[in-house]
Formats: sequence, structure tokens, C-alpha cells
Amino acid sequence: MPGHLRVRRPSPTTVSFTVSNASPRSNSPAKILFGIQILLRALLFCCVITALSARMRNLFLLQSDNMIQWQAIWSSPVGAHVCHLVDKYNPWVITVVSVLVIYGVFKRGYTEESLFVIRGFGIQTSTSSSTYLSSAATRFIPTTQIQDIVIHEAFKGFEVRFYLAVIVEGEPDVLVVFPQLLPKREILEEVWRGSRRCLYDAKS
Amino acid sequence: MPYNIAMVSDFFFPQSGGIESHIYQLSSKLIDRGHKVIIITHAYKGRTGVRYLTNGLKIYHVPFFVIYRETTFPTVFSFFPIFRNIVIREQIDIVHGHASLSSFCGEAILHARTMGLRTVFTDHSLFGFADAASILTNKLLKFTLSDVDHAICVSHTCKENTVLRASLDPLMVSVIPNAVVAENFCPLSYTPRTHDQIPISPADPRPSPTPIGPDDTITIVVISRLFYNKGTDLLIAAIPRILASNPNTRFIIAGSGPKAIDLEQMLERNVLQDKVEMLGSVRHEEVRDVMVRGHIYLHPSLTEAFGTVIVEAASCGLYVVCTRVGGIPEVLPQHMTTFAKPEEDDLVVATSKAITALRSNKVRTDRFHDQVKMMYSWRDVAERTERVYQGIIGDISPSEFYGHYPEQGWDLSGDRVRSFALIDRLKRYYGCGVWAGKLFCLCVVIDFLIFVFLEMWFPRANIDIARSWPKKQPMDKPRTHTIRNNRT
Repeated sequence: MPGHLRVRRPSPTTVSFTVSNASPRSNSPAKILFGIQILLRALLFCCVITALSARMRNLFLLQSDNMIQWQAIWSSPVGAHVCHLVDKYNPWVITVVSVLVIYGVFKRGYTEESLFVIRGFGIQTSTSSSTYLSSAATRFIPTTQIQDIVIHEAFKGFEVRFYLAVIVEGEPDVLVVFPQLLPKREILEEVWRGSRRCLYDAKS
Repeated sequence: MPYNIAMVSDFFFPQSGGIESHIYQLSSKLIDRGHKVIIITHAYKGRTGVRYLTNGLKIYHVPFFVIYRETTFPTVFSFFPIFRNIVIREQIDIVHGHASLSSFCGEAILHARTMGLRTVFTDHSLFGFADAASILTNKLLKFTLSDVDHAICVSHTCKENTVLRASLDPLMVSVIPNAVVAENFCPLSYTPRTHDQIPISPADPRPSPTPIGPDDTITIVVISRLFYNKGTDLLIAAIPRILASNPNTRFIIAGSGPKAIDLEQMLERNVLQDKVEMLGSVRHEEVRDVMVRGHIYLHPSLTEAFGTVIVEAASCGLYVVCTRVGGIPEVLPQHMTTFAKPEEDDLVVATSKAITALRSNKVRTDRFHDQVKMMYSWRDVAERTERVYQGIIGDISPSEFYGHYPEQGWDLSGDRVRSFALIDRLKRYYGCGVWAGKLFCLCVVIDFLIFVFLEMWFPRANIDIARSWPKKQPMDKPRTHTIRNNRT
């Protein structure tokens, strides 16, 4: 899925460019699909938690405290079935499988990278993390340190790709904007024009 | 019609040399003529990625493994994915490879033919036929040239050599010599002429600026890399004898290489340090400053396809003494040079003859610069190369391009317009030799399969098209127009 661009201008002196390779959720089937996906993830998460607690019930989940009747749960038909199922497998297998499922549940299915420009203040780049658990990696560069914003080409793997880069004063390497998605040239040119207009053009 | 041309070679700046400056000058003149030119070479130390030179000349320094004297490791196929990407994003029509020892060039020509592009190859050097290394190189050259659309050589000797080595049809090989930027090689006391006619008549009003007296010191300049093939051994043997038989003679030797140590030993053995100055290696832009310090340029090379340096020397107003090898006799007119056989005795005799001629003020070295300027220009080289491009693309008809001689009893036979069909290409490769032919066919088939695979794996639609450098208006439009008229 190639990345697509979303531009927002909350005020005349700010502009935010977001490139994302998520499929756009504009029509109702896509929205329903997204809802089902979230439900499925929640369900999977619950299943894993149940299986894990059933496995470890002998350690600390036997005494019935005043909140949950653990004994009753494990002896109910469903509980007994789960316990039976879980006890059949090696604890290592269960650990590995549940770690994988939890990773899958929290894995973000798309990458979103953005460039946020504020006139007279600076720019902030951000790259979404690979899971829902950690927050996006951001970097802020004040206007005084920005030497230029350029589009250039570089070798990446077996390809030559365009990239948008910010030349930061006093740093040996440039800062690449949208480093993971590396969107197409048309998108980069639009972002380049928009961000330069916002940063340097006094009239707009 | 403007073309998009990719020059491919292992040799390009920052390394300096004849091939490198040839590619650069030719490319910039082609850009002046309205074409788009990019250069693909391997990464040099501290120089990787995409760069632009003056004029909007774009250079791809592809990261690659270098084995020997800045030549990359020949892997046949590994260059293909990135080459295909570059060719598609730059919308290349013609791939022009340089130098037969460059494995980049050979691979690029193979892949370009697989992709259905026209290819040109320029050979810059001469090779032998006898020893094992030459046989191997010649097989590789044959592999490269079996399917090339046209080849260009820098001299007629070089053409003969290439045609024999790669068993080519001579009509598919053009001769386009190198050139020099005459403005960069002016003599010390040079005044530009007001009228651009060369006065060939002896009644030139200008007197010889500084007549050389019988006791004045004559300086002989040698600028060459000190390798065996550049004739350094000959030079080592000849210097003491030249200095002994001609008093008031000095040598300036610039350049470095494995033979430098032998040269220094000779100087110490004969105690000639006060008569021979060794400068070490000089940069290309300093060559002129070294040349103008001398009167004679001595070029003892054992093999040379063209010898740009002797044109540069003549342009600086030096009288040239050189060996009669390779393409050298084609380069300069008789009155600028004294030729010697590539042996010690004859070199000494020829140098002494040149010194005598200079002392008697018979040679008008002050006119050399204007004459060289009229003979060699890169614009002319670019025009002739452009005609080759037109010929292979099909903008001029094959009979006009290859010549049409029905009255001489033979005519265009065989198909010189190389078709891209795989079976035709395989036929051409199969004729390369008993075993080599089969091996080459195997390579071509694998290359084709890789191409099909790449088309599926990295579809063309996903490759960004690069923007071209904004073109400036061609400055010499009326001039090219008149040339076209003269030709028709």
C-alpha cells in the first residue's frame, strides 16, 4: 500500500503533513471492517488472558477472595474445559504462543509519519511506532537551526529513492522526513513547497 | 531530437585520467546540444549516492565492491536491479559504455540490451593478443561487443585493434578522436589572434617571439604515469645518453608510479640530480603549468590508443618527440612531431634531432596552439557522437549511416540494425566460441529471466520518474543549422 498524504492547516501559520500507508476509512464498509478488527483484537486479548490465568491458577488464583469466586469459575463447565485444554500443553509452548498473539494484538497495521511546521517556531517530525503500546518518535527542530529543506535522491536497497531532508545546523547528517515510508516524488514536492511557504514566505 | 543518454564506466572523477575527462567533456557538450546525460559509475571513497556537476550533469555513484585499480568486481548480474531502476527513472534511450576493462560498462551493455535499449561502446585502449590476460580480456570484450549496436574508437589503430579482438563488422565501428580544451593549454606568451585564419604561408608577419640561441638551455618535459606500458624503462635508458650528447639540456619529469624508484636509482647512479627535476604526481589542472616550462615534450610510451597528452603538449607550444606506436602517428601533423621507434637508440637520435631543430629555430612552436585549436574540439566530438546516436536509434537511415556503395561490387549485407528478439541475441552470442558461446548464451538467458522477475517484483509503475535538469536554450542554433546544410 503506497503512502498517501493528508494536509491540515489549523491556522495560517501552521501546517501539518501526514503520510500514512493505512487504507483510507472513508466509506461505511471500511468503517465497519475497522470496527470488527478492533473487536477481534479485544476478543483475542481476552482469550489469551483467560488461558494464561487458567494455566497459572494453581499458583495464586485458587483462594476465593471477596471479589471473584475463582473456585467457582474453574469448576464451571467452560472453566473446566479451558483448564483441561491448557494443561495438555507444555508451559513453554503456551508462553511463546501467548507472547506472539499479544504482539499481534498490539501491532499497528500501518505506519504514519508526519511533519508539523509552525512559522517562526520550528518543525516537528514524527514517526509512529510499530505497536499501539509505545508512543511516536518525535523530533523538534527550532527555526534557528534549520538551514534548508531539500529533496534529494539516495540508494536504498536495490532502488534509488527520493527523500525529503532537513539540513540541521551543526549536525553532520541531515534529518530525513518520512524515513520509513519514503513517499513518491509528487507527495514530497507538495510537502516541500507547503513547508517552505509556511516557514519562509511572509505574505501567506 | 534530444536523447536521454546514460554514460556508464568504472572510471570517473574524482579519479583523474584520460577516460574520465573524455566522459566529462563529451557529456557536457552533449548537454549543450540539448540532450540529457547522466553518468553511472561506482562509489569512490567518500563519494556515494547521487551528485550533480556543473551544467546539470547527474552522477550516480553506485555503491559497489572495487577490486583492482578502481575496477569493480565482475559479477555479471548483481548490478542489474539498480541499473534497471536508474534507467527507468531517468527514461534512458541510449546506454553508452566506456573502457573495455570496466566491468560496469560490460554489464550495463548486457542489461541494456535485455531491457531493449540501444547501446554504444567506446574503446579507449589497445590490447595485445598473445598472453593469457589479453586472451581473457578479449573474450570478455567479445561478450560485451557481440550484441552492441555500435562501437566508437579513439583512433584508427584502436579501431583495427578492437575489430580484430572482438571480431566485429568494421562498419559498426566509428572513429571519433579525443579532443582537448585548448583554452586550458595556452603557451606562456600567447596573444589571441584577431582573425581566426591560420596563416600557413611562411610570410607570417609575426616573428618568432624568443629565438633560442645555441647556448640556451632546452628543457624536455615528460608527464606520464610511471608504468611499464608508458615506456618508463626506455626513458630511464635514454636520459643519460641524451644529457651526455646534448649539453645545456634539462629534464622535468612529472608523474608517479611503480617505476619511479628505478628512475631515481638511475639519477643517483649517474649523478644527474641537478639536470633532472622530478615533480611527483601533478593534478590535471597543473599539467599546463609544468608543460609551459619546457620546449620539448618527450613521450616514450610503448602502447597508446590516442595520446591526449601529446595534443595538450602541442597546444602548449611544445615540440613533441614520441614513439611511433599505436594511434600516436594519427594524432598530430608532421611538423609538430619527431617520431622514434620504440627503442633506446632511436629515441636518443630523435630527441637530439628535435633539439637541433629547435636550436636552429626552424620550428614555429608559437603557432602550434592555434593549429591544435582548429584541429580538436569537444564540440566536434559531440556532434559526431550524436550522429552515431541518430544512426542506431534510426533517425538517419542505415544506408546513410553505414554508407552505401553499390558501384563497388558490395552492398550492405547482413543486418546491422540489431534486433532485440532473444533468439537473435542468442544467435549472436552463440558464435563467440565453442565453449564461450554456450556460456554466454546461458548468461543471456539468466539475464532475461532476472529481467522478467524484476518486472514482477519491482513493477515499473512504482518507480518514480526523476525530474530532468531545466534545459537552457541551445546557444549555437544557427551554427548547427549551417552545418546540416553543408552536409546535404
